[in-house]
Amino acid sequence: MTASRAPAPPGAAGIDRAAFETFLIQEARLLDERRFREWMELFAEDGTYWVPAVPGQVSPLDQASLFYDDRELMKTRVERLEHPRIHVQTPPSRTAHLVGNVLLEQSDEAKGEYVVGSTVIMVEYRDEVQRLFAGRQRHRLRRDGAGFAHR
Amino acid sequence: MRNGHEIARLIEPGRVHRSVYTDLELFELEMERIFGRAWLFVGHESQVPHAGDYITTELGRQPVIMIRHRDGSINVLLNRCTHRGAKVINERKGNAARLTCCYHGWSFDTDGRLAAVPVPEGCAADFDKAAFGLARAPRVGEYRGFVFASLAAKGSSFEDHIGPMKRNIDDLVDRAPDGALALDAGMHRYAYNGNWKLQVENVLDSYHVPFGHASTINKQGVQFARREGDRQGATVVEAEKTQTAPSWKERKSYIAGSGHGWTSNTSLDEGKRSSPAFDEYKRVLAEKVGAERAQQVLTPRLHNSLIYPNMSIMGLNIHVRVIKPVAVDRTEVTIYPIRLVGAPPAMNFGNIRLLNVTHSASSFVQTDDLESFARAQKGLRSCATDWVDISRGLGEEEADRELNATRALATHEMVVRAQYKAWLGYMREAA
Repeated sequence: MTASRAPAPPGAAGIDRAAFETFLIQEARLLDERRFREWMELFAEDGTYWVPAVPGQVSPLDQASLFYDDRELMKTRVERLEHPRIHVQTPPSRTAHLVGNVLLEQSDEAKGEYVVGSTVIMVEYRDEVQRLFAGRQRHRLRRDGAGFAHR
Repeated sequence: MRNGHEIARLIEPGRVHRSVYTDLELFELEMERIFGRAWLFVGHESQVPHAGDYITTELGRQPVIMIRHRDGSINVLLNRCTHRGAKVINERKGNAARLTCCYHGWSFDTDGRLAAVPVPEGCAADFDKAAFGLARAPRVGEYRGFVFASLAAKGSSFEDHIGPMKRNIDDLVDRAPDGALALDAGMHRYAYNGNWKLQVENVLDSYHVPFGHASTINKQGVQFARREGDRQGATVVEAEKTQTAPSWKERKSYIAGSGHGWTSNTSLDEGKRSSPAFDEYKRVLAEKVGAERAQQVLTPRLHNSLIYPNMSIMGLNIHVRVIKPVAVDRTEVTIYPIRLVGAPPAMNFGNIRLLNVTHSASSFVQTDDLESFARAQKGLRSCATDWVDISRGLGEEEADRELNATRALATHEMVVRAQYKAWLGYMREAA
């Protein structure tokens, strides 16, 4: 077997990828178990959750996005998910997230800040319909005690 | 094909026959008699600012291109090659000096004229390029940047159709300090398994909000803040109860012919609206149009407006909504955020951001509506009763002479009855 010719990803030297992978898997599990408040706690106080509406979208500020939530909006979103009369979640979705292709893209050990890229596949089953979603995600993380928080 | 008399029997004063939502033959007839001849919203001039800029959309199910020509004119062309019928432009938006078909390479100028044909020596001896331009929508009208088209050469004039709704368009456009809107902030799109009229009926339905959107209302009966500068939204239900709040019950709805209508907005506390972005916007607007006029513009009068049959202008989370029938039980909806030209970027960002929350595919509001539409379509399969009730407030409508309109409580169903009156007007007569 010949050695891989793929270049080492920038900034990855000497940093254990497994810690990031574990963080992403734990995050996926919180979503699949509908533990949305705990999921929200993964975000720093100034953290944001952005899902662009189109590929290559540069900014959430001047264009429509599927999500662009700060903690305040996340809280309203989670409260709605807990409301007994959320019709579109009656019955609730059952989901399975699969996270893979995890790469540490950037790291700044001094600041404890990292950018992790990954691919996510999510299968949703609700009301007798199965839907498949796929996407690439990028986590901007800050070291927070023993773990990480979304920036 | 059904005759006008048979179709008229589907619409009664306070109820409509369920087949208007479920019958395949009626849907085909709607495509011909409503979407084949009514004035339909196509797009906004700001979507095609430069020569060669285009968007593609559908009028009913027919693919069209709205494109700006070199002379500045906006053309609405049928997106179908005049050779063998392929859709010429496949992108939702772009810029092109020539529109070239992917199949055999016929290319058209931005005014639709056939410009070039590959291997021209193979054309018939009497082939006349002038006869092979892209077909045009027979009639096109524009008001303050909003472009409408009719696929029929004859019918009510654009002025007759849009006249009663001009003030609703003005109400939105006048909020821009520079007096112009830009639909250049992307779009939200979604589809649901239900008839197109379910979305059309919903845009002016104030009755569904307390229950249909219960998940957006807190224990104090108040909805989350939906506008830049608001600390909270409208009071919808009584605190700690499920009864609709008195202030919500006072809201009015209006009709002014042709199926059009709007709702009034009396439930938000304008005095408390303040944020750095909103305050700066207020200052810029007053500077441009004068303090008194700015105060008028910022006092909410119109809430949501429906320009029948395919578009609405929403005044709370400002946006333009376009409703496209795909099949009798499938509908696609496009939502365009609106940028107020001349407003501070932070104000426009606030509007775009809050529209993500209310009307994206992951939104707090629209998702529960889509669930109701899909469940209506499922429920209407039942033969238990053939009738859908739209009788709330029947006989309680009153004239509003000042507005030259007819008025009712917004939790009544006058606007839906008016839509079916217009529906029947189109449907009972052959095109």
